Amino acid sequence: MQNRLLFHQSSVSLEIIGLPDYSNNENKDQISIISQWKLTIIDKPLIEGKIEHLRPIMDAFYNYSNLLINNEIPIFQSKLIDIKADNIYIHNITLKSSKPDVKPLIIKIGNSLLSDTINCFDQLNESPKVRIKESVLTNIIPKKVKFGLSKKVKLSNFFLPPLLAISSLILFSYTFINFYNPVEDKEKNVIINTK
Amino acid sequence: MPNKVTIWKLRNKNPLRKSYMNNNIKLEEFDALIKITVEMSRYLYPYTKKILQSKEEPEKDGFIWSDFNMRFVELVNERFNMNSIRVKKLINQPENDEILIKSLLALSLCISNQGYQKLRNFLLNF
Repeated sequence: MQNRLLFHQSSVSLEIIGLPDYSNNENKDQISIISQWKLTIIDKPLIEGKIEHLRPIMDAFYNYSNLLINNEIPIFQSKLIDIKADNIYIHNITLKSSKPDVKPLIIKIGNSLLSDTINCFDQLNESPKVRIKESVLTNIIPKKVKFGLSKKVKLSNFFLPPLLAISSLILFSYTFINFYNPVEDKEKNVIINTK
Repeated sequence: MPNKVTIWKLRNKNPLRKSYMNNNIKLEEFDALIKITVEMSRYLYPYTKKILQSKEEPEKDGFIWSDFNMRFVELVNERFNMNSIRVKKLINQPENDEILIKSLLALSLCISNQGYQKLRNFLLNF
């Protein structure tokens, strides 16, 4: 008997079907070996697939939403799924089948359904009852996207400019000290006055 | 945040406001405000979703978006420094649609238990 778990957020629900990994002494209501998953979006065709498709699809949604919010070009492309924005409120999802004769499935969703879907994925990620193995595809993010995601604030960028400014100031002032020594000049004046 | 007055006082550290105190917000205050925002966005998710939906289907519920936008512009006019170019961007029609949609979407994506971390990352990358 397989376990079923349902994650629900307004107009979207995600069903996970699978078995616990008894070799790891897991509870009988746990799911570690996923045999099937179904993503149901109201008024849209059912999306379902094998376990190896779930993580890439989740990653695609997460990466796409990051690009959208961080004001970068919202396009995500992979072997399995493409997501791009028609405009600021409509998103085009193209799901490509691994079977050769099956045409790609195109679904248009708005921001409200996009947030519902991502919230369903968040519930799945946070659920202690399901364990999903990391996929290989997370490493095959397009270069442009990867650059945007791995953008880190470098501490050296903050400290280097003032440090350079101070050191150059010291260097310049040191050279001018060699040209003109006010102490020596004062002493000379004193000698002249005493004469 | 020891009490509500502290939150109320923090508003004056927003440089876009008319009465603005030239004090930088502390990191703990920044984190506390994010936590409050995430809690509020969790509570207001059905409304946020409805507003986003009304923009997608203007022929059905278009009035929800226009009411929301009107109230937003009213509040900005009332409380923000209208001489600032950044404030003007907030209420200029074609530009403000995008800012509002992205802000609402960011809030609606931060309702999970990891919402605090998500919203913090969004804000730091902004």
